Amino acid sequence: MGKFIVRRLLQMIPVILGTTFLIFMMVYALPGDPTDGRCGQRPCPPQYVEAFRREYNLDKPVIVQYLLYLAKLLTGDFGTAYNGKTVLHELSIRYPVTIKLALIAIAIEAVIGIAAGILAAIRKGKFIDNLVTVSTLLLISFPVFVIGGLCQLVFGLQLGWFPVTATEGTWEQLVLPGIVLASLSVAYTARLTRTSLVENLRADYVRTARAKGLTVPRTIAVHALRNSLIPVVTYIGASFGALMGGAIVTERIFNINGIGGYIYKSIHDRDGTALVGTVLCLVVVYLVVNLLVDILYGVLDPRMSHD
Amino acid sequence: MTQDVAAKHQAGVAARKAEMRAAQLAAGVEHLLEVKDLHVEFRMQDGVAKAINGVSFHLDERETLAILGESGSGKSVTAQAIMGILDTPPGYVTGGEVLFQGTDMLKMTYRERAKYRGPKISMIFQDALSSLNPVFPVGWQIAEMFRKHRGMNRSDAYAEAVRLMERVKIPAAKERVKAFPHQFSGGMRQRIMIAMAISLDPWVLIADEPTTALDVTVQAQIMDLLKELQEESGMGLILITHDLGVVASVADRIAVMYAGRLVETSAIGPLYAHPLHPYTKGLLESVPRLDQKGQELLAIGGLPPNLLRMPEGCPFNPRCRYAFDECRTGAPPPLREVEPGRFAACYVAGEV
Ligand SMILES: Nc1ncnc2c1ncn2[C@@H]1O[C@H](COP(=O)(O)OP(=O)(O)OP(=O)(O)O)[C@@H](O)[C@H]1O
Ligand SMILES: [Mg+2]
Repeated sequence: MGKFIVRRLLQMIPVILGTTFLIFMMVYALPGDPTDGRCGQRPCPPQYVEAFRREYNLDKPVIVQYLLYLAKLLTGDFGTAYNGKTVLHELSIRYPVTIKLALIAIAIEAVIGIAAGILAAIRKGKFIDNLVTVSTLLLISFPVFVIGGLCQLVFGLQLGWFPVTATEGTWEQLVLPGIVLASLSVAYTARLTRTSLVENLRADYVRTARAKGLTVPRTIAVHALRNSLIPVVTYIGASFGALMGGAIVTERIFNINGIGGYIYKSIHDRDGTALVGTVLCLVVVYLVVNLLVDILYGVLDPRMSHD
Repeated sequence: MTQDVAAKHQAGVAARKAEMRAAQLAAGVEHLLEVKDLHVEFRMQDGVAKAINGVSFHLDERETLAILGESGSGKSVTAQAIMGILDTPPGYVTGGEVLFQGTDMLKMTYRERAKYRGPKISMIFQDALSSLNPVFPVGWQIAEMFRKHRGMNRSDAYAEAVRLMERVKIPAAKERVKAFPHQFSGGMRQRIMIAMAISLDPWVLIADEPTTALDVTVQAQIMDLLKELQEESGMGLILITHDLGVVASVADRIAVMYAGRLVETSAIGPLYAHPLHPYTKGLLESVPRLDQKGQELLAIGGLPPNLLRMPEGCPFNPRCRYAFDECRTGAPPPLREVEPGRFAACYVAGEV
């Protein structure tokens, strides 16, 4: 187990180097100049441009820029964004908000998705199964910004059940955005749980559980469900990364000051330092969650054990 | 667990069973298990498949009844109907009785019946790898019987699991009690299935092709083990198989199934010497050769009937060399006593 974790941690290094390098290059390849539009309607004076470029190492070849960035990063310095604030400062304000949002979404996805999937599976072909099938189909076919806008309008404005925006990023404010963010993956989770449980209920070992004289609830909840949840847990874990990314849209709808807005802004400003730092954190979160999922996978399925 | 304690355990079980047997006899119940006119159908989109059509047989203590028949003849469905573990839907028991010591189990609720599974009647399956739960240790799965049926605590139940694993001769049982099914060989896994099935000292054990998935030497070991356990405990054994070799060496009586019906029941000796039903005769003539072990019995021409479109008359008539007009019309021939203690469902039984 320990060896497995160490190996996986070492594998993260090339992934992190690769992603930061790629993003750095992409920002560099963007058309236009970072100083465009920094001086109102007129072009910036050459002295300003020159000073700006020197300050942010833009006068050096891109590979040197990247290496200088990496060298700083190793000391824990994420650099300074073009607006003069340190990237680390922005991230420390914004990441907690987005992570909160993603956690709410994950909780909704896991609880509601799994519960709906179980209900649909054990009432296969009945009303509740059809209800789950139809409503998940609806969720899957509507784009998130439509669902987000509708929820905001109906539950936020008309019914007044939730705050309309979540500018401060408190837990109460983030519930509605969390529901919106989870809407797609909750549908997939429900469907995956249903399929997986239906399949496992037909498995030989479930027949054995019945032959052992166990009660129906125990047969389903202990014997069939435990096996059915293996792919579901993997999916939920993997969807955490997608949720952090998907938060960009949700954050804009609800005016949340998370990383979504920051990523948008830094692309707009061609601010490589800010963008790479933000994405780097996303990548690390994603890799760590994936590692946790793989460890959990080994625990859930002894055939995949890492011992 | 020492030999001494194991012996004591067996003595206790034997004493309990003797008491119940006396009560059973006093109540005028003849057989340990009696299946009467069992009917099972599968209701599917393209029609109703009548999988079992009036099967009757009985089983006594210490007796081994072999159920023999081609693939799809309804052996497993019969076993599942007796156990009460049919997949419903699509499977439904539509008629008959399954009497355990005189009590009709078909009239019980699911919960009442579940209490019989394990202590009274128990079953082992063909493929032990898929029939054991892959995510729980084998000892846990055996111990579950004691925890759920006898309310034992975890550590006592684990001790019982070790005792059973020793009883079915799994080496180093104490060390392997926490291992998972995939960590065992095929033969050892089947032993674990057996340990689980006999854990509560059932009166009846149904073994559904317990050795088909195993190689020949291991097959013999598993059959020996089953025989030994039966001798120790006196349980009745229903052995489902299509291996005539296995049948000859262990069974007392044999029931031959065809298309959801019994076509012949007989003691083992006379059946081999002189089969009554043309189908049985065909089976015996198709003695499996070594190079096709585990395969279908191919010597009888044609295929078993489609359960959705059963032929008129005797279900075997399209494949029967001896069929004449009466076989092709009306109801299937009923099981009749052709010789004392020997039954066959055929108009020309015994004359062929
Ligand atoms: N769950 C099910 N759904 C639909 N039909 C079924 C089901 N289980 C069994 N059947 C049908 O019932 C018939 C009898 O099947 P069964 O499994 O009892 O055969 P078998 O004699 O055990 O054969 P084998 O030697 O292959 O195990 C088959 O035609 C099969 O298609
Ligand atoms: Mg079968």
